[in-house]
Amino acid sequence: MHILTIRIARLLLGMGLLAAVAGLPLRGEAANIVALRGADVDVYNEAFEGFKDVTRQSIISNYDMGGDLQKGKAFLARLKSGPKPDLILAIGLWALQVVVEEVKDIPVVFAMVLNPSTVIGQETRNITGASMNVSIEQQIALLKRVSPQVRRIGVVFDPTKTGFLVRQAERIAQQQGVRLTTKAIASSKDAFAALDAMQGEIDAFWILPDETVLAQEVVQYMLLFSFRNKIPLLGLSEKQARNGALLGLSFESGRDIGIQAGELANEVIAGKSAKGIPFTTARKVKLTVNLKTAAKLGIQVPKEILERADLVIR
Amino acid sequence: MTSRFKVATGLVLALWVGVLVGPADATDLKDVIPNLFGQGIILQPGGPLPFFPQNSRFQESSLQVLDQLNTQLITGIGVPSFNSSVTGFTFDIERGIPVRTTESLGPLLTERATTLGARKLDLTFTYTRVNFTKLEGKDLNNLELVFLRDDANGNGVRDTSGPFSFESDIIGGAKLKVDLTEDIFALIATYGLTSEWDIGIVVPVTHIRLRASAQGPLIIFDQFGNRGGTSIGGLPVHRFGPDSTPPAVSLSDETAVSVSGGGDATGLGDIILRTKYNFLRNYDDLVPDLAFLFEIKLPTGDEDQLLGTGGTNLTGLLIGSKTYGHWFTPHVNLGYEIDTKDTQQNTIRYSLGFDARLSSELTAAAAVIGRAKPDGRGAGDHIIDLSLGVKWNPVNSLILRANVQIPLDKNNGLRADFIPTVGVEYIF
Repeated sequence: MHILTIRIARLLLGMGLLAAVAGLPLRGEAANIVALRGADVDVYNEAFEGFKDVTRQSIISNYDMGGDLQKGKAFLARLKSGPKPDLILAIGLWALQVVVEEVKDIPVVFAMVLNPSTVIGQETRNITGASMNVSIEQQIALLKRVSPQVRRIGVVFDPTKTGFLVRQAERIAQQQGVRLTTKAIASSKDAFAALDAMQGEIDAFWILPDETVLAQEVVQYMLLFSFRNKIPLLGLSEKQARNGALLGLSFESGRDIGIQAGELANEVIAGKSAKGIPFTTARKVKLTVNLKTAAKLGIQVPKEILERADLVIR
Repeated sequence: MTSRFKVATGLVLALWVGVLVGPADATDLKDVIPNLFGQGIILQPGGPLPFFPQNSRFQESSLQVLDQLNTQLITGIGVPSFNSSVTGFTFDIERGIPVRTTESLGPLLTERATTLGARKLDLTFTYTRVNFTKLEGKDLNNLELVFLRDDANGNGVRDTSGPFSFESDIIGGAKLKVDLTEDIFALIATYGLTSEWDIGIVVPVTHIRLRASAQGPLIIFDQFGNRGGTSIGGLPVHRFGPDSTPPAVSLSDETAVSVSGGGDATGLGDIILRTKYNFLRNYDDLVPDLAFLFEIKLPTGDEDQLLGTGGTNLTGLLIGSKTYGHWFTPHVNLGYEIDTKDTQQNTIRYSLGFDARLSSELTAAAAVIGRAKPDGRGAGDHIIDLSLGVKWNPVNSLILRANVQIPLDKNNGLRADFIPTVGVEYIF
């Protein structure tokens, strides 16, 4: 190759590298992050602390919306009028809601959001984050391990709230050799008939993080359904396990979710597009097993599950 | 909360203790009542009976409870509760969103199990006015003075028969009037170390006013109430005279007394350090929330000026509470207080009460508060009060509070008719 060509090629390569590096914070120069919290609650504060622990970036602002969407929007409007931060951290569903509406040109990482797809929608956005959801694979696998004869898992859901989740779950259930028996409802009062219709049709029941089915009387009916039909019920929390669900599975702590969000933020700051980073589910989970319920259902919970459980109710 | 603000709060506390609190007056209030009669009543020495050359001394006996004035002053006054709460958020883990809490603002003089919240600061300023009116059920303006004779024969008892039966003579008739009031200004700071653990300090500044006067006739009686006292061979054993204290113009079974004393004292009271840990919360719908409170009362108040007890007290308190319907929170407190200086003052503390949200800004609270001393000396060993109060949250995190403590057993110990407290509180 002609020597001139080689020299030009090297020059271009060097310029390209220089351009790439110029777009990044210099080593030792932290990126600027603005944190927006939906409200002053302990789990959000813990998530923020976990985020700070793993990022080396500069948190230039930490704003509490106080549960007021208008306050959040006003804050973001002020933010847009000043120097642009390198990243926005949205903690909680309300913070993510206002950020999705108001921010288009700044990468966003969220933390402590349940079912984030319902907020972000299907369009591709420069948003990623750590959700509070426990992975569907983990939940179905848990039900199968506790009750190996499970083949049909019942789910009652509102398509407008958790339709996307159910579609994912159907695929995953099939991969794991079980079938999801679903009943769609439009309101809480439809849940009772939906449950009754499942009698004799399912081997286990799974409570989804779906606002429509979480009305107190509906959850109580689900617990009653579980006892009457002697089928295991997987709940969303320690509290549901204490109230009678055989199992309760939730994220372990706000701090862990914050750490996960911090790791994602580091990737974005390092140059990766948030668009290309899938949301994460809770890496650490908290499992509660209610042995009193197990006895009533005639279920022998495997020792490995009991050893793994964070809390066993006897 | 910014570090600048924390420094400012610390400065305010330091100012409160070190600068705003002035020195106490020189007169020892503790000695005001005992000093009214100094060495007691000393009757005419010698006398018609040759075998009584020594003085007959009579000491006041009916007001011994006033020897423990320090403790009596502090026992009956409730300490403001650890913290209030304003409308905030809890987290619904199943729905994944915060939920606004509209629970009540909290109790006033008793405790519930919930804590302030991590990194929150609660600053409260209260004023309490105490006007004591009763001592063991008797009007402080009209206490009867009774003087008993010393043991003449050294056998440890006042003989009621035999040759020394004159030991049972008494001197009575005069009345003691005691005017005792207390104004307590307290600065209370509580900080949430974590979401379950609070620490706090109570810094009281107290102004005490004590006036005592004894007036009236001093008359000698025998054990049967006969005026003149015991006689031997028709001659009275005990007489007032020109050489007695107080004196009489001539030998007589009666004289008059008019003495008074008193003073004021202002100064730092006994500082209380306390901590509360909420070890069980939202376990399920039936089990109450539980917390443990530990308190140290330091002897920072001048005991001689009745501003403090002079001893360190340690208290452990178990607290149980539960909120129903987001508006009604009954609670129970049970604990034990150790007086390291005088174990007879060790106290069982208990209370049963509730606070109820009447509206989003207004909470009412009521409680029955008891303090019992199993090894006490008698007076004031078991006092029970009713506490009624309200809290109002007019704006943001500002809370105005008013409370009245009403003794349910005025015949026990040193008591006021009622004890009002007002205060202002802010949660940062």
